[in-house]
Amino acid sequence: MFCVNCGNQIRDDQNFCVGCGSPAKRPPATQPVTAPPQQPVATQAAPAAPPAYSAPTDREDAPDVQSSGGNCQWCGGPIARGLTSCPRCGAALSMPEEVSPSGWAQLPGRKDMAKLQFGNSFCQIEGTYVPVADMKLAPEDSVYFTHHVLLWKDPQINITTMSMKGGWKRLMGGLPLIMTQAQGPGHIAFSKDDPGELIPVPLQPGEAIDVREHMFLVATSHVQYDWLNTGVWFTTQNGDDSETHYPIGMLMDRFSAPQAPGLLLLHAGGNIFVRDLGQGEAILVKPKALVFKDPTVRMQLHFEHPAAGYSFWGNWGNRYLWLLMEGPGRVAIQSVFEPTEGEGGRITNSSYATRQQW
Amino acid sequence: MTEAAPFERIQCQWCQSMNEKTATACRACGAPLDIRNLVSESGWREAPRIRDMTEIHFSSSTCQVEGEIVPAAEINLGAGDSIFFEHHVMLWKDVNVPLSVLQLAGGMKRAFAGMPFIISVATGPGRIAFSRDATGELVVLPLHPGMELDVREHAFLLSSHQIGYSFIRVKGLTNILFGGQGMYMDRFITTSTSGLLILHGYGNVFERRLAAGESIMVEPGAFLYKDSTVTMEVEFQKLSSGFFGGASMSLAKMTGPGRVGIQSMYVHHRSE
Repeated sequence: MFCVNCGNQIRDDQNFCVGCGSPAKRPPATQPVTAPPQQPVATQAAPAAPPAYSAPTDREDAPDVQSSGGNCQWCGGPIARGLTSCPRCGAALSMPEEVSPSGWAQLPGRKDMAKLQFGNSFCQIEGTYVPVADMKLAPEDSVYFTHHVLLWKDPQINITTMSMKGGWKRLMGGLPLIMTQAQGPGHIAFSKDDPGELIPVPLQPGEAIDVREHMFLVATSHVQYDWLNTGVWFTTQNGDDSETHYPIGMLMDRFSAPQAPGLLLLHAGGNIFVRDLGQGEAILVKPKALVFKDPTVRMQLHFEHPAAGYSFWGNWGNRYLWLLMEGPGRVAIQSVFEPTEGEGGRITNSSYATRQQW
Repeated sequence: MTEAAPFERIQCQWCQSMNEKTATACRACGAPLDIRNLVSESGWREAPRIRDMTEIHFSSSTCQVEGEIVPAAEINLGAGDSIFFEHHVMLWKDVNVPLSVLQLAGGMKRAFAGMPFIISVATGPGRIAFSRDATGELVVLPLHPGMELDVREHAFLLSSHQIGYSFIRVKGLTNILFGGQGMYMDRFITTSTSGLLILHGYGNVFERRLAAGESIMVEPGAFLYKDSTVTMEVEFQKLSSGFFGGASMSLAKMTGPGRVGIQSMYVHHRSE
């Protein structure tokens, strides 16, 4: 097929022309064959008002698609016949994963009010700018969180502190010392304070994930929480002052599900992109953009000196700091993040790093 | 509402105004009428996401809602209509729209508490536009006669002149010191005429109607508005860490009957 605007060739799986960005015009027959779109339950809807409004349909507005059985593209969980979204991670079947040609996948689309299930409890994800995780806890289920993410709760839900081993280490790293716990039955809801996305990470027994600090929102009690040293640091010298910087923090959270499946919810800024690195495959990311990685992914610093007219500048002043991630495993990044502290300083020492002089 | 069908009218489920059967957005509050309500199982209804460029009507004026991430409210004031607002939310205006200041009792006391006590007034005809400083939603609340609404300080974007404005002191010292919520709430009251009140909530906005005696615990920073019939008291929870004193957490206990509105993001206002 060719673009009607610029004549560029368009592959069948592309919706837009890569040459000029025009939407690809295609015959309606190429629409995926699925079950007939489910009519939204019209209990309270306006009585058959004519569909006068016909704005271009957004992913969010796309009609629901029912599962014919099979597994979720995103988390691998089974989706029973008739469901319109994955019960484990909320990915809507009408919004399949979108992967850029470079290999980064957007988080799977989730309809507002998508419902996840864990144990006998449910979590509804509400809102789009600063989404809320609204939990309906069964009597035997509990979740833990840091207290500043609490949004509202039923009066009868009790909040207690969780005892943590190694709390001191945690304090020294500048991370929250107190974890709070809420026990069902009842409703409790959480949200963070910046626009972004909620990332449901269902963990199966034996699975683990490494998460950069401050990304954690809430987890079910089956999820075990531990932390490890990142081993990524560098020191800068300014006169007599030497300072050590931890571009991804001194510690990283590790979440795992030793026995029973658990649900972990993260919140990251802006939009989230994920890619699966092959064995030995590497990618450079800005350190503060990192959201999570599989424990199998190795990371280290990488300094890059761009070519310059005067080699002096190329050696010193102009230097980019990257985090090199090497597969196998998944890496997730966020599109909104802070600048890396100390990046422009005179770096005297660092953890293991590779260097590229252009 | 199916009962409305014989009259060929549909009722907006956000503000209860009646609309033409063919309308796709409510004339009085801009809520889309052709999509289903987003209500969580716990009973919170998401504030309607107003479509870009939707027009809202009040007395002889209109308000157009523009943009989606940080929406702006552009008011086309009819002759004789006026609106009031806090000056820091102004985005642009026609050169010849006159501005004045609302006379308020007790303003000085409030100024000492760090709040602006100046409420500005713009009078039609002409255009003036407003927006606030962070990602969020406009909450359009047409106030019918006899309504009384309490709003988090600095959260109101504008109000039409038919609505009476005052402010109340939030009782209880814990509110001030630990609640994360200021000393005052704005109170909007209608008497015999309907008016339009527009708030801006940070992040997403949710509303829930509490039955008489029903309670919900809300993070004070999330509180956005409530009917004045809803009571609010701060409850304290001590979280012991086993190391130092631990942290303390306070939650606002809101008890019905009436509506409660919350925002999902909390931006701390120092002094404006």
